[in-house]
Amino acid sequence: MGLLDLFKGKFVDPTWPGVHAGGNVITTTVDAVVKWGRKSSIWPMPFGTACCAIEFMAFTASHYDVARFGAEVLRFSPRQADLMFVAGTIPDKLAPILKTIYDQMPEPKWVLSMGVCACSGGFYRSYHVMQGIDEIIPVDVYVPGCPPSPEALIAGIMKIQERIQKGEQAKAPQGAHRVGAPGDGAIDRRARRKAWAEDDARRLAEGAPPRGVIPLRVIPDEPSGGHHG
Amino acid sequence: MASATEVAPPPAGVGSPAVRVLRENLGDQVLEVEEFRGDLAITVARKAWVKAVQLLRDHPELDFKLFLDLCGVDFLDKDDRAERFAVVLHLYSVSKKHHIRLKTPVPEADATLDTITGLFKGANWFEREAWDLYGIVFTGHPRLERLLTHDEFVGHPMRKDYPTARRHVLKSPREMLLRVPADSEHVLINIGPSHPTMHGTFRVQALLDGETIEDAEAEIGYMHRNFEKMAEERTYWQIVPYTDRLNYCSSFMNGHGWALAVEKLLGVPAPPRAEAIRVILSELSRIMDHIIAISTNVVDLGAITPFFVMFRAREDIYDLLEACCGARLTVSYVRIGGVAQDVPEDFEARCRKVLASVRDVWDQGNKLLTRNPIFQNRFKDVGVMGREDALSWGWVGPCLRGSGVAYDIRKDHPYSGYDQYDFDVPVGTVGDCYDRYLVRMEEMLQSMRIVEQALAKLPKGPVITDDKRVALPPKSEVYSNIEALMNHFKLIYEGILPPPGEVYGYTEAANGELGFYVVSDGAKTPWRLKVRPPCCNVYQAFPEMIKGGMLADAVAIIGGLNVVAGELDR
Repeated sequence: MGLLDLFKGKFVDPTWPGVHAGGNVITTTVDAVVKWGRKSSIWPMPFGTACCAIEFMAFTASHYDVARFGAEVLRFSPRQADLMFVAGTIPDKLAPILKTIYDQMPEPKWVLSMGVCACSGGFYRSYHVMQGIDEIIPVDVYVPGCPPSPEALIAGIMKIQERIQKGEQAKAPQGAHRVGAPGDGAIDRRARRKAWAEDDARRLAEGAPPRGVIPLRVIPDEPSGGHHG
Repeated sequence: MASATEVAPPPAGVGSPAVRVLRENLGDQVLEVEEFRGDLAITVARKAWVKAVQLLRDHPELDFKLFLDLCGVDFLDKDDRAERFAVVLHLYSVSKKHHIRLKTPVPEADATLDTITGLFKGANWFEREAWDLYGIVFTGHPRLERLLTHDEFVGHPMRKDYPTARRHVLKSPREMLLRVPADSEHVLINIGPSHPTMHGTFRVQALLDGETIEDAEAEIGYMHRNFEKMAEERTYWQIVPYTDRLNYCSSFMNGHGWALAVEKLLGVPAPPRAEAIRVILSELSRIMDHIIAISTNVVDLGAITPFFVMFRAREDIYDLLEACCGARLTVSYVRIGGVAQDVPEDFEARCRKVLASVRDVWDQGNKLLTRNPIFQNRFKDVGVMGREDALSWGWVGPCLRGSGVAYDIRKDHPYSGYDQYDFDVPVGTVGDCYDRYLVRMEEMLQSMRIVEQALAKLPKGPVITDDKRVALPPKSEVYSNIEALMNHFKLIYEGILPPPGEVYGYTEAANGELGFYVVSDGAKTPWRLKVRPPCCNVYQAFPEMIKGGMLADAVAIIGGLNVVAGELDR
C-alpha cells in the first residue's frame, strides 16, 4: 500500500478516521497519515550485546527479511533511529551507556526489549546484571525468550507498529523502583554457616541431635490381644 | 583395571621433567605434586612463584611458552587448606604437547603475590581479574584496576562470603582510559561499547594523530554476567544452559567442552554414538561460528552481500539443531555422559542437505572475497601478529594458527574420537588478517570433511551412558519400575556427586582452546569453575595491534579476531 493508493482512495482500513463510501472518499488528519508513515518505515537501532543479537541478525538477514515490515534500515546512530532493540543482557556496567544512547534518540521513540535478560535479568540473578532494562528506560514491548525466535520478534515489531498507529508510547521506566536492588534474599554463605554452627552448638548443649537429623519417633508396642478383623 | 596383586601407585609426577626441574632448582619450595585424571599440578611456595613460572617457560626441557589461564580460588572455611586463597596458573608447551597447572597458596591476611606480567604478556588482564574478583594484590603489576566489574563496585564478588545477587549501581562510565598530554593536539576518540564494529560490548579509547592511532586502550566487562559465580550454586547439569551462552555463535561446542570436563572429573565416558553426534554438531557449529566471524567482519568494512549470502547456511544448520533438540541458538543438547536424546531418523539426510548448502555458500563467499582486490587491500599485512608474541599473549585457535603455530587440540590431544577422522590443520605464514581469514575458510572445508566421515560411520547404540550415578534412567522405566523411580528422584535431588579433585578439561572450540577448570569438593555443585576463555587472550592483544596503524584498520582487525563478548567477560 503506497502513498499513491492512499490518495486514490483505495485505503479502506476502518480503524482510520473518516473512511467513507467504501473507501472512495477519505477524510483524514495529517496526524493519522504521519503515524501511518511512521509505523511503515521504522528505523531501528540495534543495541545488541549478547546472544540475542545473533538471533537479531538472523531476523534481519535474508530468511526472515525484516524489510517486509518496512524496518530494514538499521541505524547504528541513535540520532537517526526511532525504535531501539535492546537485544541481550545489560550488566550494571553497561547501564549508563544504555541510558545515554536512549536519551540521544529523538522523540518520538519506542523501545523493544528482546529476550528475558533485557526484560527481567533472565537467569542471571547476580551481582553485576541489571534485573530488566525498565529500571532505567521505558519499555514499549517485551519479547521474552532465551533468545526469542525471529517469529516472536516479528510479532514484537508488529505490536510496536500497533502502538505507533494508536499513538501510544511508554514514558517512564516501569521498574525504576528496582534500581540498585541490594540482592536481599541472596545467600551469604559465611553468615549461613555461622548460624548453622551456633544452632548445632545449642542443640548439642540441649542434648538434641544436630541439625538435619530428624529424631526417630518411638512407636510404643500395642498391647497384645488386640485383634483387628 | 586393578590387578590381583596390590601395587602401591607410584608417587605423583614421577618421570615428569617439570617436577624434576622444579625440585632441582627450588628444593623444598615445591610444596606438593598431585596427579589426578592425568592432570599434573604442582604447588609451589609463594616466594618462589615468579621463579617457578620462569623455569617452566625458559627451561629447554619444559618450554611452556603458551600462556593459558590464571585465576584465583577461594577456599573459605575449608579445613584441609592452610591458606584461604590460591592462585592457579595453566600453561601449555606446544613443542612437548603438555599442559601443566602451577598453584600457590595465598593467605587471607596478606593476600599478595608477585606479578608475572613480565614473563607473559597475557597475564596482565588475568591478574587484574583475580584482583577484581578475589582481592588478591599482584605486586609490581603495571595497572591493577578493576577489569570486569565497574568502578563503583564495592567488594570482591567471587569471594565465597559475597552474596551472589548484591548489586551496586554505576552512575557514569569510566571516562579517561588514556591520559592525554595537556599541550597535545591529538584527538581522543571513544570507540564503543555501542558501536557496530565493537559488536555491542567492547570499548576502546584511541589517541589519534590524524588518522593514525598513536595510543589505544581497551576496557572490557560490559558483558560480565557472572557465569562463574552462578555456576557455584548450580548442579553440574544446571550449568549446561549457562555454557550455551558463553560463545553464543557456536553454543553447542561450549556444552561439548563442559560435558567432557565433567566426564573427565567423573571418569565416565560417553558412548560412541553420543561422541559421534557431538563431533558432527560441533563441526557444524564451528562452521556457523566462522560464517559469523567472516561475514560480520566484512559487513563492518562495508561489504554487506557476503552477510546475506552466508547467513543462509546458518539458517540451515539452525534447522538441523532445531530438529535434534528443539532450539535454534542456545541448544542445551549436551548432557553429562552423552546427549539429551537421539537424533531424528532422517538425521543423515538432513546433514547432507546442510553440507550441500554450506558448500554452496562457501563457494559463493569464496568467489566474493578471497580474490577480491579491495578485500585483499584491506586485509593483507594488516594486524600482523608474530609467532612468539601470539604465544605470549596466549592466543589459541584460528588466530594462533594464522600466526603459524599448528596447535589444534583435535589433532594434538584428540577427544570424542577425533583421532578416527582424517583432516588437516591449516596454518598461516604472515599472521595478518588475511591469514586468519584464510585459516577460517579452510577450517570450514576441513569441518565438512570431518562431518562427512562421521556420518559415514555413525555408530548405533545408546546416546547417553548407563551409569546410574550420572544419567537419568529412561522415562518408560521411571514410570514402571520402583528402582528407576528412586534413582531418578535421587539424581534430581542430589545431583551428580563427583569425587573431590581438580580437573582442567579443554576442547578446540571455534575460537580456540576452551578450558573448564573445575574444583570439586565432592558436593553437587562445583566449588570453583573457571572458564579459560579463548577470546580474552586474543582481545587483550588488540590495543597493542592497532597502535601505529590506521583507524580504519582497527575495524578490519577486530572482526577477524572474532571476539565474542559472552565468552570474553563471562
